[in-house]
Amino acid sequence: MNETQTTRVILQLKESNAYEAVAWRWMRYSGLLLIPLAWGHVLIQDVLVGVHRIDLDYVAMRWAMLGWRVFDFLLLAFAFAHGMNGLRQVLNDYILNEKWRRATSWFLLGVWLVISLIGGLAIVGGVGQP
Amino acid sequence: MQTIRTTLFGLTTYRGRMGHFSFIFHRLTGLGTLLFLTVHILDTATVYFFPSLYQHAIDIYRSTPFMIGEIVLVFCVIYHGVNGARIALFDLFAPQRWQASMQSKSAVITLVIAILLWLPAAFIMARSLLINNFGL
Repeated sequence: MNETQTTRVILQLKESNAYEAVAWRWMRYSGLLLIPLAWGHVLIQDVLVGVHRIDLDYVAMRWAMLGWRVFDFLLLAFAFAHGMNGLRQVLNDYILNEKWRRATSWFLLGVWLVISLIGGLAIVGGVGQP
Repeated sequence: MQTIRTTLFGLTTYRGRMGHFSFIFHRLTGLGTLLFLTVHILDTATVYFFPSLYQHAIDIYRSTPFMIGEIVLVFCVIYHGVNGARIALFDLFAPQRWQASMQSKSAVITLVIAILLWLPAAFIMARSLLINNFGL
């Protein structure tokens, strides 16, 4: 194999257990998992069912099936964590001050935790009475 | 500021060409999807926390601007997925494919696959928009 700078960096990232190397691998593995999860969700809800047939009863009907609740829970967990870490990685390219980087990371961790909790509670709690 | 300028306009001077385009596009489609996802988690959570508000949220999604936005969103999700698969598979299994000559070609193939997957979905969603919002 013709070892270029790029392949050398990639080999290092695959070996290392440093935080950013683990995050780098996490983005690739979670990304591959998100292809069936996110595409399946979009194909069913946006394309095949469509927003005009979605209402409270529809959500209640879907969540009556445990399998779909697990699916939605996995989608929520992986998609939002993947997205927030992606945002962190993008911002790290533009925030060069170490102090600001740390502040941004903690802020994003807080936002991630709060919104994940809200979404997770809704999936566990289910559809309420209007 | 300099770093943002390089990201956006480096395309004209940096020799990555198609690779640089896919880098920008991957980030924009990812950030756009994240923005929608954040709103979508919160509006769906109303089914548990404020069930009476859910229908209101759905009514907004049924409006014409949001349905057009949905068609754009689906393209973002498809492109980000196809290009993300390219990144993950090359990085994990075939890093030699990142050579400039090979990766430019794969970036073009990625875009073509994304458009081909998006077209039928866009057609169905556009038809739904015309039927439901314009009575066709």
